[in-house]
Amino acid sequence: MNWTGKDMDIYLLQKEYIDTLVIPLVKVETKMDNMKTSASSTEFVMLLASLIETQFKGRMMFAPPFSYTSSTDLQSMADTTLQDFSDTTFKHVFFLTTDHAWLSQKMPGQVIWLPSIPLESMDAPLRQSILEDQLRQVLPKFTEGWSAL
Amino acid sequence: MSSKVSRRQFLSYTLMGVGGFMASAMLMPMVRFAVDPVLQPKGEGEFIPTPQKADDLTETPVRVDFTIKDRKDAWYKSDVSNTAWVYKEGDTIIALSPVCKHLGCTVNWEGDEKHKNEFFCPCHNGRYEKNGKNIPGTPPLGPLDEFMVEVVDGYVNLGKTVPNTLV
Ligand code: FES
Repeated sequence: MNWTGKDMDIYLLQKEYIDTLVIPLVKVETKMDNMKTSASSTEFVMLLASLIETQFKGRMMFAPPFSYTSSTDLQSMADTTLQDFSDTTFKHVFFLTTDHAWLSQKMPGQVIWLPSIPLESMDAPLRQSILEDQLRQVLPKFTEGWSAL
Repeated sequence: MSSKVSRRQFLSYTLMGVGGFMASAMLMPMVRFAVDPVLQPKGEGEFIPTPQKADDLTETPVRVDFTIKDRKDAWYKSDVSNTAWVYKEGDTIIALSPVCKHLGCTVNWEGDEKHKNEFFCPCHNGRYEKNGKNIPGTPPLGPLDEFMVEVVDGYVNLGKTVPNTLV
């Protein structure tokens, strides 16, 4: 499910089935030298998120991506903004990101980190197969999280 | 049937909900909202070519990916990828939609080792027989939809989805 009015209506009726919240975390670089990489990783995370969403829409709700810049204190973002999600009715909360800095924070949920792959120069079929490959990589992390509770 | 799909036909697909369109919805809501209301869906019955040769099909369902392309306009992110499970039953080609009738996850043929010869939905262990019939006692409440099928020059072409006619 996406964070849209229509999908939220379904969520509210089917809370016991849609028990997982996924929050993409994207770093927006403001320095000229890093902007390209940052844009490219954002694109990667969002495309991967939408692929996971299509395959698992009946179990996962995708929050809008949370963005931050280089001066953001990640731990305090985790303790405030992101912490709020642990009070929701979702049984499982996952954070999807290419920024490994999240791996060393104390998080109110499980961080799923993967390295960014620049997709912009690929044609559609190649991009699709790369993304499906990545999906297969991260899937076990979701299923582990599901069976842990 | 032409293999080109105009923006108008493309929109008619997305509006009918055939497309895996939600995939792009996250990224381009503005574009979509700006365009949608202007172009209304036009009739039905447009078929999209797939890379699948009809002769290569067997009675085991295979995954067929196809893309609804919008080449005419330089509208970025206009391709919609879609998937079907396709197999042969005698001489008839059957193409089932992979969208689970419970809450819309993607089902896989023999997606669970314990249940051979069935479609499986990983979200809440939904199960379907090969013809798309939902197996009682699992969450899905209806059978998988079917795609309209046409063979053009030996290749499988797929149309819009219709309620399952095999069950
Ligand atoms: S979405 Fe397929 S079983 Fe629930």
